[in-house]
Amino acid sequence: MTDDANDQNEWDDDEEDVVLSELADDELVEQMHDDLYDGLKEEIIEGTEILLARGWPADKVLSEALVAGMAIVGIDFRDGILFVPEVLLAANAMKGGMAILRPLLAETGAESAGTMVIGTVKGDIHDIGKNLVAMMMEGAGLDVFDIGINNSVEEYFSALERHKPDILGMSALLTTTMPYMKVVIDAMVEQGLRDKYIVLVGGAPLNEEFGKAVGADAYCRDAAEAATTAVRLIAERRAAASG
Amino acid sequence: MSERAGRRKSRGRDAKRAARQQAQVQTTAFIDRNIPYFDVLNEESLELIEYNADTVLEEIGIEFRDDPEALSILKDAGADVDGERVRFPRGMCRSIIQASAPSEFVQHARNPARNVIIGGKRTVLVPAYGSPFVRDLDEGRRYATLNDFQNFVKLAYMAPSMHHSGGTVCEPVDVPVNKRHLDMVYSHIKYSDKPFMGSVTHPDRAQDTVDMAKVVFGEEFIQQNTVCTSLINANSPLTFDATMLGAAKVYARNNQATVISPFILAGAMSPVTTAGTATQILAEAMAGMAFVQLVKPGAPVIFGTFASAVSMQNGAPTFGTPEPSLILYAAAALARRLGVPFRSGGGLCASKTADAQAAYESANTLQTAALAGVNFMLHTAGWLEGGLSMGYEKFVMDCDQASMIEVLLKGMDMSENGQAMDALREVGPGAHFLGSAHTQANFEDAFYRSTVADNNSFEQWSAEGELDCAQRANVLWKKALNDYQAPELDPAIDEALLDFMARRKAAFPDKDY
Repeated sequence: MTDDANDQNEWDDDEEDVVLSELADDELVEQMHDDLYDGLKEEIIEGTEILLARGWPADKVLSEALVAGMAIVGIDFRDGILFVPEVLLAANAMKGGMAILRPLLAETGAESAGTMVIGTVKGDIHDIGKNLVAMMMEGAGLDVFDIGINNSVEEYFSALERHKPDILGMSALLTTTMPYMKVVIDAMVEQGLRDKYIVLVGGAPLNEEFGKAVGADAYCRDAAEAATTAVRLIAERRAAASG
Repeated sequence: MSERAGRRKSRGRDAKRAARQQAQVQTTAFIDRNIPYFDVLNEESLELIEYNADTVLEEIGIEFRDDPEALSILKDAGADVDGERVRFPRGMCRSIIQASAPSEFVQHARNPARNVIIGGKRTVLVPAYGSPFVRDLDEGRRYATLNDFQNFVKLAYMAPSMHHSGGTVCEPVDVPVNKRHLDMVYSHIKYSDKPFMGSVTHPDRAQDTVDMAKVVFGEEFIQQNTVCTSLINANSPLTFDATMLGAAKVYARNNQATVISPFILAGAMSPVTTAGTATQILAEAMAGMAFVQLVKPGAPVIFGTFASAVSMQNGAPTFGTPEPSLILYAAAALARRLGVPFRSGGGLCASKTADAQAAYESANTLQTAALAGVNFMLHTAGWLEGGLSMGYEKFVMDCDQASMIEVLLKGMDMSENGQAMDALREVGPGAHFLGSAHTQANFEDAFYRSTVADNNSFEQWSAEGELDCAQRANVLWKKALNDYQAPELDPAIDEALLDFMARRKAAFPDKDY
């Protein structure tokens, strides 16, 4: 509780009140990075609306104000500066901005940051880690279709068919369920679907070697790493496609 | 207020980074216990040990060596004095102690916010004491110097889990034996504002300690208040020597506290059984504490216990083993029945380095001391090699363990917030609590966060250089010394202390005894 008292004092000392609409573009973007960092959803919504009103295209708002801000959150989560509940708040603020941008992005036909289908594999009901990954992916600007727990090959396939994502993410907590990832990937190969998607795998009993052995594109050790890997692999894939 | 009214600027990354990377902050001056004591003996067994201890005092007696004044004080009080052997009628020591020894007392620090209460449900954590060597990862094992001494005073000052600056945190062997106490006491006062321990290696050095304390606290204040707690060891079995008795008398007459501590390597200095050793400890401690009460009724005394089991294979002391834990639990209960504060415990180990042996032996003794109800926990941090070596990395690791003890002894938060019914209702089955309002409000200090443990993924740990615990601790103590800022000391007091030291050092030649 002393922390709250300290916070209060710092607030009191900080006489810098701010009116978002009066900030220049670069100051506003910087302020939005701070607001994202502190998980302030209302402020992110307001900032997003101001930038759009000033004529910023939706994809520029997304990449410069929101995704760049969440990248800082990801780095500080990795470095132990930000804690899980704080990252959840930041991602929630990000979602507030995304809700405004998503229809605009669709309208303008701007390329989205990417889409992902994610779920835990058959036999595995442990989903907290998967939920954190989904949250970080949304934080990175991706559209995430979370198909929940205990997914069979058929369920993964029908989600891929429906959402046509860039990425398929599979997670498992148990050593007895993680081999199912290979079952899914083998089925993708059989049906000639494997190369249409980036496949990311994760979960406590996995490692780099396991990811390679089952034929995934990458193993992601934690939620922050998963988001960075997703962004990097989507960019590489798009560069390869256009080149 | 218009709609466009400003809001406070969010603080973002820089503020959070600054806050999270800040050194830990001292929150409490000592631990106030809120959980029960762990007892290993029933009433009947405790009574039996008390009866046997009285038999030891009555039939075998205690030697008070080379101190005729002590013998005459004891004789006048009704003890049977035969040469240097003193025998006490059954119940005499207990009744003298219970008539005047305080059950708890305040040891004042030069910063009143650091005052500690010793006794009752309090636990005061104190650095290790007495090592001739120091050890760190960079330079290995070497004789300690005054610079090392000052480093450990600084590290203890900066460690939130250390409530006390300690005494001989290591032996500064580069300073002559008959003068080093001046530098040690000065260093405690100058580089820390936590309470400290005084010199006991000669009555004159005890007096110098008291005189330096007078400079800091004022002559009148220290006659009414305790500003110094010092360690008086019994020369077990059943012996007190003139050096220790002389120092004890000086401190008692100045109303300063003493820890009367049988130092037992069981099997060599006491019987090989736990009950026999506990009996001897009680007899020795009672004789010493009764003596202090006769010198100055009401002078604070602490019932001390240091017990290690000697290896019957090679004669070496061992640590973190179960028998000394049993002895510690028994002695703590005996001290509570006597009604005086209790000293024992610490992060004791026999290991030469800050390795797995050091960690588990120390964890065993720290846990035992915490659960037993130790009031003054000497040797909490830094101890290696049976006390021969003070470890820099070990100090950091022990401080981390010590912080955990504080959380454990505080017990369970049963407030409305602690019950967390809101969180249970909000989340319900199958979801997670990480984002719930209750978690958002409490997460930051909900769980103890270790300063040295690495809880990252294998991959991250690997990417960060695969550092083991000692290597991480090595980074931390260097950072702490680098960040150290001395607490303010009134320049007039500092000058007076330096002047006192200069005069005392000039008053007699250097001697190494």
